[in-house]
Amino acid sequence: MRRNRPVPEPRPPAAFAEAHAAWQAHPVSRRRFLKGAGALFGGLMLPWLPEGAIAEAPGKPDRKWQIIALVQQHLFPDDGNGPDAKTIRAAAYLQQAMALPRFPAEERDFILQGPEWLDDLARQDHGAAYVKLDAASRETLLHRIARSEAGDQWLSLLLLYIFEALLTAPVYGGNPGGIGWAWLEHDPGFPLPTAANTYDRILKK
Amino acid sequence: MTTDYDVCIVGSGAGAAPVAWQLARAGHHVLVLEKGPWLTERDFCKDELACCRRGAYTPDLADEQHVIEEPVEAGWQATPTGESGWDFWNGNVVGGSSNFMSGYFYRLKPLDFRLRSEFGPIEGANVADWPITYEELEPWYTLVEQVVGISGRVVKHRFLEPRSTPDFPHPPLAENVISQWIDAACERLGWQALPTPRAILSQPAHERKSCSYSIFCGSYGCSTGAKGSARAALLDQAVATGRCHIRPHAKVNRLISDARGRVIAAEYADREGRRQRVRAKIFVVACQAIETARLLLASPGPKHPHGLGNNRGQVGRNLLFSAGGSGEGTFRYARLPEREARALRQRGPFVNRGLQHGYVIEHPRLGRIKGGTTDFLFRHPNAITRANDLKRDEHGALIWGTALKRRLHAGFTEGRHLRYEVFCDWLPTDNCFVQLDGQVKDKWGMPVARVRVGYHPHDLEVGEVLSQQAQAVLREMGAEDIRGGVSGSPPPNLVAGGCRFGTDPATAVLDPDCRVFDAPNLYVSDGSFMPTGGSVPYTWTIYANAFRVGQKIVDEL
Repeated sequence: MRRNRPVPEPRPPAAFAEAHAAWQAHPVSRRRFLKGAGALFGGLMLPWLPEGAIAEAPGKPDRKWQIIALVQQHLFPDDGNGPDAKTIRAAAYLQQAMALPRFPAEERDFILQGPEWLDDLARQDHGAAYVKLDAASRETLLHRIARSEAGDQWLSLLLLYIFEALLTAPVYGGNPGGIGWAWLEHDPGFPLPTAANTYDRILKK
Repeated sequence: MTTDYDVCIVGSGAGAAPVAWQLARAGHHVLVLEKGPWLTERDFCKDELACCRRGAYTPDLADEQHVIEEPVEAGWQATPTGESGWDFWNGNVVGGSSNFMSGYFYRLKPLDFRLRSEFGPIEGANVADWPITYEELEPWYTLVEQVVGISGRVVKHRFLEPRSTPDFPHPPLAENVISQWIDAACERLGWQALPTPRAILSQPAHERKSCSYSIFCGSYGCSTGAKGSARAALLDQAVATGRCHIRPHAKVNRLISDARGRVIAAEYADREGRRQRVRAKIFVVACQAIETARLLLASPGPKHPHGLGNNRGQVGRNLLFSAGGSGEGTFRYARLPEREARALRQRGPFVNRGLQHGYVIEHPRLGRIKGGTTDFLFRHPNAITRANDLKRDEHGALIWGTALKRRLHAGFTEGRHLRYEVFCDWLPTDNCFVQLDGQVKDKWGMPVARVRVGYHPHDLEVGEVLSQQAQAVLREMGAEDIRGGVSGSPPPNLVAGGCRFGTDPATAVLDPDCRVFDAPNLYVSDGSFMPTGGSVPYTWTIYANAFRVGQKIVDEL
């Protein structure tokens, strides 16, 4: 396979600089860990967990993971066209992926900053927390942030890791039973990784 | 002087393994130092995270990176790859990047050995003839066919290289129906489609299994051993003699030379970071072009004040990539008769077709010039990459929800995508070279390679001619959404040069036997030796030359 320079992702138009500014206005360092209900992550306990475990175990989601899961579900909904974000365990997959080596630290930090920004913007624009918004308001809000560079990048990363949850080998925690492969008629080849030779174990060889 | 080994080889890929194989079989004791791990078939599986998303076979860019100088309007802009994410590592494990090659194997042609004599000088390019001829390398090309294992079918054509055997030792791999469509389209255009030789066993041989048609070749390690990696094809055999030792996790930081200019020891960091030394009669460097130049430059000595073999400032110069471009077209099942659609859907069999009728071109403006090779292949089946390419509309805006899911489903299921890749000479110039970076260091405290990656505009003109030919084939086949183009961006996995061989020490680093001038017991046996690259992927030539160099060392010992 010929490898050429990765093509930079298209930049959003400059006309949306205002939305960009609003999105960026929220201080990055401010972190709140709110206790959320465990229902969203209920049933998402995984058959295999990476060595080193994960920082915030499934079953004890904080508010930002609740928001990430809701945004994932909005981006990849249950609409009768193949599996949705919940079915492919997109949130649990992402949590698990972040705990493994070589996950880009800056992407992890950026992804985890997003929910707070989104929540603040939801309160500002719609007078309610993101989790309280109806689907139409969420759609409006996500389109608003997509016009900013940071918002576009945040959603772009969430989509990328939804695709990973949809299409990586099930041993990594997403794509249960190969449901994503089946939907897209994708032949994943063989042999597939098992718990004995996931990439984090290869890195220890 | 007491030595630990007869020969110490730094690196374990396609440039190193043939030397180890030759020496071990001839009864000599060899040590291979490889900075990466020793993975085997059992470690390789179809894991897009491992190969491609998390880079499990290459260093963490936080530990080891490059600095790349790219042309900008005002000169050159240097960016560390740790910032850009533009990874210049190609596979740092025992067997090197040959574990992860696709194995499209081509010989150079006789005219590639005398490019300057054949086509004359090109302004701004340092084109040079090779100090050896095709005829001198031919027996070694043939040995590669037999030992590494190449599958294919020889057909006569205008640019077929002279061969000492009538055909390949292994029959061609199975082909998808699309190969016949390419043949027919080319025939209608008056061109000849050629079967592409592959370094993949179509039948069991050499105690290796044959291909299992699991289709992921490029970027993936082969789990059957059918792919002719340096490890599967050569190092396993060398180790079996009992005279070849492989030391993984051994990162050589410098070669130490004495007052006579001879190398006396390799100094390396082991897995725990401890400094170790090994002494040998002869040293061979084969770390792939960029790292080979870096190691020589990082190894000054009493007779080599500017780095080993660099008394005339030639080390790192005339680095080569492969010029060209790529593109693709789509064949939608719904537009095909059912039988043809069903045949096209068949996963596993390869495309394995290429064009070489444009190896020499009569260009309307430039006259008779060197052309190149075009390969046809299915789009790589990496699914995450493919899905990610579908998440934006034609204006660059993100898509989500039902629109995204419909687009994904259509993109994956509506047809197959036939790609083409063009390979033409990356002309050697003064704007493509390796030096040591003045600031950025690796985790062992050694300066990283700083690589200037300028290209010659002539390369784009040649690439464009071949790219247009490939698109004409796609059109003739009835493909839709045909797109493609050429680029001056260097593909990091197609790299050579930097220590060119020649007869004049003023312009070459290596003599015709690939021995470093001024360092009589030091050889370079990877692709660094190439003064020009030819218009094909390099691996077969690197293998062949390394066998040739291995024999020279056997003769010397």
